[in-house]
This record gives sequence, C-alpha cells and structure tokens, in this order.
Amino acid sequence: MSQAKEYRIFETEVWLPYRVAYGETWTRFFEGMKEQKLYGTQCRKCGRVLVPARSFCPRCFVDTSDWVEVSQTGNLQAFCYTNYRYYGQALDPPYVTALIRLDRTEVDFVHLIGGIDLTSVEAVSSRLAKGMRLHAVWEKVRQGHILDIKHFEPVE
Amino acid sequence: MRRVAITEVAQISGPDSKDNFYDQAYRVTREVLDKAGLSRDEVGTIVSASTDVFHGGISCANAYYWESTGSFMKAGTRQDGESMFALHYAFMKILTGKYDTVLVVGLCKGSENPDNDAITQLIADPFYQRPVGLNETTAAAMQMHQYMEAYGATAEQCATVVEKNLGNALRNPYAHRRGCYSTEEVLASGSMCHPLTDLMCAPKSEGFIAMLLAAEDKAREITPQPVWIKGYGCALDTYFLGDRDLLAGQLPNAARRAYKMAGITDPAKEIDLVELCEPYAFQELLWCEQLGLCGRGEGGKLIASGKTRIDGDLPVNPSGGVLATNPYVSRGLQRVVEATLQIRGHAGEHQVRQQVNTAVCHGSTGFAGQCHAVAVIGR
Amino acid sequence: MARPVGIIGVGQTQHGRREEMSYPDLVREAVLRALENCNLTPDDVDAVVTGTMPSMMEGIAMTQFYFADAVQAVGKPILKTETCGSVGVSIAHTAYYWVASGMADVILAVGHEKMFEGDSQATMVTVLEPYYQRSFLSGPPTAFSLQSQMWSNRFNIPEDKIREAATHISMLHHNSAFDNPYAHVKVRLSRDDVMNAPVIAYPIRLYDVCPNSDGACAVIFASEDKINHLGRKAAWVKGIGYRGEEYFIGDSDKVVWRAAIEAAKEAYDMAGISNPRKELNVAEVYNPFTYQEMIFYECFGFCDFGESPDLVLKGVFDRGGELPVSPSGGVLCTNPIGATGLIRVGEAALQILEQAGDRQIGGVKLALAHAMGGVVQLCGIMILGAHK
Repeated sequence: MSQAKEYRIFETEVWLPYRVAYGETWTRFFEGMKEQKLYGTQCRKCGRVLVPARSFCPRCFVDTSDWVEVSQTGNLQAFCYTNYRYYGQALDPPYVTALIRLDRTEVDFVHLIGGIDLTSVEAVSSRLAKGMRLHAVWEKVRQGHILDIKHFEPVE
Repeated sequence: MRRVAITEVAQISGPDSKDNFYDQAYRVTREVLDKAGLSRDEVGTIVSASTDVFHGGISCANAYYWESTGSFMKAGTRQDGESMFALHYAFMKILTGKYDTVLVVGLCKGSENPDNDAITQLIADPFYQRPVGLNETTAAAMQMHQYMEAYGATAEQCATVVEKNLGNALRNPYAHRRGCYSTEEVLASGSMCHPLTDLMCAPKSEGFIAMLLAAEDKAREITPQPVWIKGYGCALDTYFLGDRDLLAGQLPNAARRAYKMAGITDPAKEIDLVELCEPYAFQELLWCEQLGLCGRGEGGKLIASGKTRIDGDLPVNPSGGVLATNPYVSRGLQRVVEATLQIRGHAGEHQVRQQVNTAVCHGSTGFAGQCHAVAVIGR
Repeated sequence: MARPVGIIGVGQTQHGRREEMSYPDLVREAVLRALENCNLTPDDVDAVVTGTMPSMMEGIAMTQFYFADAVQAVGKPILKTETCGSVGVSIAHTAYYWVASGMADVILAVGHEKMFEGDSQATMVTVLEPYYQRSFLSGPPTAFSLQSQMWSNRFNIPEDKIREAATHISMLHHNSAFDNPYAHVKVRLSRDDVMNAPVIAYPIRLYDVCPNSDGACAVIFASEDKINHLGRKAAWVKGIGYRGEEYFIGDSDKVVWRAAIEAAKEAYDMAGISNPRKELNVAEVYNPFTYQEMIFYECFGFCDFGESPDLVLKGVFDRGGELPVSPSGGVLCTNPIGATGLIRVGEAALQILEQAGDRQIGGVKLALAHAMGGVVQLCGIMILGAHK
C-alpha cells in the first residue's frame, strides 16, 4: 500500500445544551431588568455597591443583602471596537463593548455602546471619549436577559 | 530546602503539523528523555498541563494522552489552564523528597481548535459578560485603552513590541509567526479590536513543551549545566472585569513572592533576561512595569530605549514571545524552556549577546491577566 | 523533607438538584462551611487548589477564574488540578504536596460540579477521542458493564450470586444515605426493587448506578506547626497513591486491575499498612457502580480475587462489619463528580475527627479514601490517620 502524502483531518464538533441556574441574587437582578431597572447590592462591610448584584462581596466575603436600584447613567471607562468573527460569537460584528461606571457604584458595568455610527473604527473613536456620559437604552420587549438593555448611548 | 534544577528541555512548536496530538505528546516526551539519557522507568512522575477546551473537543485531556507522556503505571497528574502551574507542582513534588525526577509537559495543539476567542468567551459567565461579547481580546483591548490613557503610552510604542518580537522570531526555528515589520505596518495591519491591531494580537499555535526537573544530586548526574529554580510566585485576581483595576492587577503580587524566594531585591539590576507572556503587544510594556523592571507608566519609555532588544542590556522575549508563538496553555512553560536555553547558551541564532545568570519567566491567563505566575531561574 | 500534613476542616454542600442557587454560590456554601468547621477566616488561607470535571459539563472554561471570589482566592496563589473522575483525590494530593513541601501552611482545597446544568452523559462521551472509542463506548455504563462481565467470567462467579451481592451493596448504601444530611438520593428500597430494577447496561440495573448531583466540597489542609499552633485535632495524611494505565480500554486488564492495585499498594507502603482489611477501620471507596465496588475490594486487598461477593453477603463491609465501606452512602447516592473524590477524603477525615454524626463508625484510627477516573483508567488513594 502506498504511503499517503497528506494525513486526514477529522472534522468534528462538540455542541452541548446547558441549563444554567441563576440562583436567588441573579434571578432578582434579571427580573429587575424586565422592569427596566438595574439593581446592585451593597456590601455592609466595605460599603461598595456592586452591579450586577452579587450574593456576596468578593473582597469581604460576607453576604450582601442590601439591594439598591442603581443609576442607568454612567461614565465611559474604556471601550473596544470588535470587527471580526469567531465560532459561537454571541453578537454580529461590528459592535462596541465597553466598561461603564454607573453613577454611585464602585465597579464598572460591562455592556455595549450603540446608537452611534459603527461602520468604522474611526467613526467610533471620534464619537467616544473616556469619561463621557452614557445611558441605557432598553428593548421594548424584555425577557430578563442582559440584552434587555439594547446598549448604552451617549447622553446628548 | 532541596535545590531543584531544570535538566533538559524539548519543544515541538509552530503553526501546525500533520502529526496527531497523541503522537506529538509522545515525541516531545521521548525527546526530553533521550536528551537526559533516562528511560521512562527511571522517571519519578509526570505533571502535565492542558485544558479541555483547548484540546480538540476531547474532555479529560490527560486521560487521552496519559501514555503518550510516559505516565503508564505512574502517579501522573494534570494542571488546567496555565502550564506554569505544572512547573510549580512538579517543583513541590521534588521538594518533599518523594521524587528525585519529575517530567513536566505542557500540551496544546492550536491548529485543532476553534479561534482562541471562541474558547476564551467561555471563561465569561453565561449570564452577564458572555452575552455582551467579552473574551480575552476584547478585555485586553479595554485594558490597552486604559493603559494608554493613564500613562500616555502611544500606539507606536505598543507597535514597537511587535516589531521587536516578530523580528526576534526570525531567528527562532520554533516560532509560529515571524517577520520584519515596521511600526507603521503594525499599526496599519487591520483593526480587529480597536485599539488592538491584528499584528498586536497573538496567533493560535501548537506547542508541545517538555522538561525534566531533578533534585540536585540527580541533576548533576544528568547534565553539566543544571538550571536552578530559584523562586516561584502566583496570584489570582477577582473575577468580574468591571470589579478590577486593570492597571494594578496581581502581577506585582506574584513577582514579589517569586523575588522574595529567590532573594532578589532589585529586579531591574539583578535580572539578565525576561521571557514573558504578552498575547497582546501592549501587555509586554505593562508587565515589564509590574515585574519591577522599570517604573510605573514607564513601559513605553523602556522599549523606546532599546534596552529590551535582543542585543540590549535586558532582553525581553528574544524568542519572539507569545506574539510570535501562542500555544495558549503551554505558552508559560515555553517561556521557561526559552529562558533555560538562554542561560545555557543553547539558544542558537537568537542567543542574547551577554551571559545570562538569572532569568524571569512569566505566564498569564484569563481576561486582562486575571492570573499571573512568575518563576525565577538561573545558574 | 516532607512535612507532616493534616486535615482540620471539612465543608460540603447539601448535594442534590440545586437549581435555586448559582454555581459560584454553591461553591461558596462549601467553602464557608469548611472555614466555619475549623474556625478560620479566608485570611488564614495561604493558597487554594480547585478542580472539577471538564468545562463542557457546565459550559464554563477554566472555572478557577469564575470562582476566584467564591473560594476567596483573590491575591492568593492557586493551582487547578484536573484528572477526570479521580480529580477529587488529585486535588487532595495537590494540597498535601503544597503543605508537605513547605511552600504553604494552610491550603483550601475545593472540588465542585453542577451536573444538572449540563448533559453529563453527553459530556462523558467527549472523554473519548472522536476517531475510534467515541463511536462505541456510550460513556461509563458501557465501560463498567464490559468490566463486570470480564470479572464474573474470569473467576466463574455465578450470575445470581453477583446479583445478590450487588443488591446487598445497593441497599446498604441507600440506607446509609439517610444518616448523611448532605447525601443526595434518599429512597427506601426493598430487596425486590433493587434486584429487579430496569437494566441500564446489562448486567447493571438502575439502583446499581450513581446519580448526577450538584454539589461542592472544601477541605482544609494544614502543616504540623499550624495544627499545633491552633491546638487542633487533625486527620493526618498517612499515605497517598496514584496510578494510571492506557487510554484505550482494550489495552489493559480491568479485572486484575493494575492501576487500582498499585495505587493502593503505594499508599499502603507509605502508611505502613500490610493487612488493609484488618488495619483500616473504614473505607470511602469510589463506587459509582455496585459491581465495580466489588472489583475495588479485591484490587485493594480487602479480600482475594473472586471472593468479594461472598464476603459482601456475609456482611464484612456493612456498617457493623469488619471493614465498613462508605457509611456516607457513597458515590452511589451522591455524585457531583468534580467534588466526589474530595467528599471521600472529607468523609474519611470526619470519621477520624469523630464528627461524622449519625454515620460515625466507632473508634476510627485509619481510613481510606479513593477516586477513579478516565476510561476505567486512573485511580487515586489517600489514607488518613488519627495519629501522625
């Protein structure tokens, strides 16, 4: 038998369905999103307001039972313009992911920026600047999902 | 404390290969044993590093390559995610006195996997960070943004890292990506995730990395040039990207632990060479600062000075680093192999000009460096 | 050179279907209980070891990142040990080496799994490579069925005797689970329920098989200096052993099963044990399948090859027998895989520390914990003792 010059490639794929528990705290957070509200929890020990809400403070390691509704407006901390594709990607590029410090919270909220011209990185960079004010824009129909907020937009 | 040495190293590395994983794992293990002149039976035990999601869709990776890494009827074990963990665990196994030799193997066959970001998005929690597009690249892009804002580091300085490292890789036969690029070419290489350009992001590579560690007496039997493990440190940061200070991070903590163990008080003076993990170009500048090689915010100045070039006083990534070759899981251990070759004067065409007595090796995984591991090795 | 190492704290979740809780919170439940058990705070912990089954089980990659806060590892060194089903014992081994080497004094070891979030059977199939074994072996039941048939054929053990012994073991563990507040499956079964339950993979029937569980376990290991300083009682690590054989199931003998035999021998030698059935007071054997549990008895030297069904039926391994096995109800009643092996270690420690509540065996001085993983391939052992 002659020696094959090319070895074979087996094209395979792993795809598995999951049912992932939100738990008490995140259930309440995402239920809040249905009502167009953003909730955080405050740590009694260090006083930080964490959003999305957490069941415990990662630093103090104590339960966080104090719920606060947080502002839907905040300052842009950093952003990135994504314009490439990968398998299983949650969104269709191009899109802008950003760190946003919502008012009176102590952590940055990760979400998308929209409502601006996304056709090129130049268009995006010229429109966005660190510290600029952004506010949440909600979907009309909400399901208790992080993308019930369509994106954040510059405050005019 | 027992002294532990790296006695022999081997690597199979590049963009891809027609060989299968099972066989490549065997070949690299075989090579390191042959170099050490040991049979498989004479090896104490094996610690491997691999990650199921970077393992061609086969779960419980070390079950698959168990015998390929010489583990049959041995007490082999595995570390997940970061191959520097395997070095650390193997080091401790010798420190206890239970073993005199331990084989350390890091395995990743990037060519079989989907894009790195298709995988790293699975690091993100399913509820919050994943649906908004977070992965290792988007997290790094935001970190770069903050880095440039905070210290006035320029895109040109970040591009110089690419120019330097891919240039160094021209001399490294194990590199995946190499070339002579001007900073202008780097900056114009396509903006896949602004402010990162295409060439500022590491590729997806194969890296089968093996080394044999030994206790002092045994090490001296195996090689006239043992390279000692002098210090190790690691630190993990908090999870949610928004909770973290992306410019402070945990690398200073990991480095402090490694330096303390190695008795290093002035890293900028006492270290001769650095192999660090920079999947995104600007990270080399930030990590250099956090490893104490220059002041805070001075990473841009450091590279502009030429000191970190292959012929400089403190070469950083003379191998081309992770920008040239990025086998995600084994990239940390590959840094240790490269530093070992440099200390021995065995790095061939990419051997640095001056003698290397002490080298720092660094591994990093997770979004914007959530976890860092640092090893100090030397003569 | 190796420093003595002891276990001073154990915490585990209520195992079962925990849909009311997110995965990080579930992990934290075990961590909090372990710290509370030995009255330590996260600041007292030098470093953390975590581990789990494959990422595909819950769809999250490299969970050490996700759980950094839940296990309070922020700013600390970490190791992430993964060895398939044997991972729980491998985590314990890692914690042992970390303390024994002198690089840390207090290690928090955490194993976890939330199996109701994924499809465990589909995940297990991905342990097999896609070229060959994945087409034939539909996960663990197939492999264990093959193994048990080879065993009964080898020693000419009559099928009805094995069925009786398997039924005895199943009833024993299902009854014990009622004494364990953390156990998952709590059902009172009649002999007839077990004997004639539906066949899963011949000859294995429904109640011969472990469940899927959500759960986590945390165990705190400390150095002798630290234990003395705290003035604590400890369950001392007396022996460890681990062995693995080829990935391809047809490559090695799974009846006179060298990986199990030699892993146990390594641990016995280190602990100075020559007659395990006499010297051990309790054993937490990793027993996802009743048939396989009997093969382990033989490989671990609890009895001769082919002899275990007779001894099972005589009650040697019952709660009041010569060597009680799995008084916790074992894996047969609780199986959050990434935690399962560490639960064995934790349960063995609780027996030594006399904190096992209603499942306590009297006067335990020496206890064995075990886990198995891979394609009927990897075995890990840890032996704990009341005295250093």
